[in-house]
Amino acid sequence: MNKDLYAEALKNTLTEIRNTCPGIKSSFIFTKDGAIVAGDAETADIIIGKTLNSFQNVAEKAGTIGGLHNFYVDGDKGKVYISRINDMYLVTATSKNADTNNLLSVTQVIVRTILKLLESIIPAPLKSTQPQQLTVDTFSGFFAGDTVQVDLPLLTEWSKFFNGKNINEIEVETFGGETTRCKVKEINDPNLQGKGIIRIPERVCKALEVNKGEPVKIKPVEP
Amino acid sequence: MPRKTKPQEEKIENSPSKLESTMEESTITPKLKFQHSIGNLHANLENLKTREGVVGYIFRTQKSASIDLKDPTKIIDYAVLSSTVLEAGENLANMFELGNIYKVTLEGKDVKILTLKIGDNRLSIFMDKTADQDRIYKDLNIT
Repeated sequence: MNKDLYAEALKNTLTEIRNTCPGIKSSFIFTKDGAIVAGDAETADIIIGKTLNSFQNVAEKAGTIGGLHNFYVDGDKGKVYISRINDMYLVTATSKNADTNNLLSVTQVIVRTILKLLESIIPAPLKSTQPQQLTVDTFSGFFAGDTVQVDLPLLTEWSKFFNGKNINEIEVETFGGETTRCKVKEINDPNLQGKGIIRIPERVCKALEVNKGEPVKIKPVEP
Repeated sequence: MPRKTKPQEEKIENSPSKLESTMEESTITPKLKFQHSIGNLHANLENLKTREGVVGYIFRTQKSASIDLKDPTKIIDYAVLSSTVLEAGENLANMFELGNIYKVTLEGKDVKILTLKIGDNRLSIFMDKTADQDRIYKDLNIT
């Protein structure tokens, strides 16, 4: 079983939970570093992307209370729960009248069980080369070129999946559906490191029709 | 560190006692109702902060903020966090069509935050993770 099957198994799990529990409007899972692991079949990528953006904003500030463990939003037409499961977060959106305590318990127990089962089948931890979501930061200048910049730890992590080969190119995809391949190197400004951003030259941003502060998905191109 | 007995800044237009006398004399207008509820809220917060597990609160109106935290060194961090939490809650509410927000809760390793939007005002209550936030929300008696 490879990691695509891992994600597929989780996706099927979430889809079946949603089919069984009509109170669940949407559910998906992502890792603490913002990589989308799996989502049910009905949840749009744009929703997942924007949720990750909001999550990351809170997670950045939550260090003062020992990190982000759970995050709940309670509205008059429904609720959203972001719950930590191991090193991942499960997002569940429910309708107004859903029995949320029951739904959350059932969903979390099932997802935990599936994760445990999958991890026993796949010894490697779930750190796949699936798309990572980062927030766009722009830069310009005579020497800007077409090379984008991301955090070095991300490049190092990806490199491990390709037998230590350096990652020189990545694919950038916007939530509007535009994609491009770019050369990549580490972020050279220490003040911008570790903030979950991708620095993209302005002219590449124009081609992608993406602006500063917007989320994009990136994945490595196999060296 | 000794507990502060008064909020650090408080600029509410009318005190509850003044409001009560006004209300006896005239019909309750929406503005008075709102002022009255804010007055009640302050009274409830004063009671709440003595409860075991509650570590403080930040109440922000458009003109002022009342802050009462057991650990004053965390005022800035908690103020930024509460603002971010509510903003993220509003974003999620828009995306998932949750309607009007009743409350947003953030749980950390040791502390959790209950954040509410009351009209144009924002209230964040900070508490130990073991505290019962549903009970606290209920006791605030926000209508």
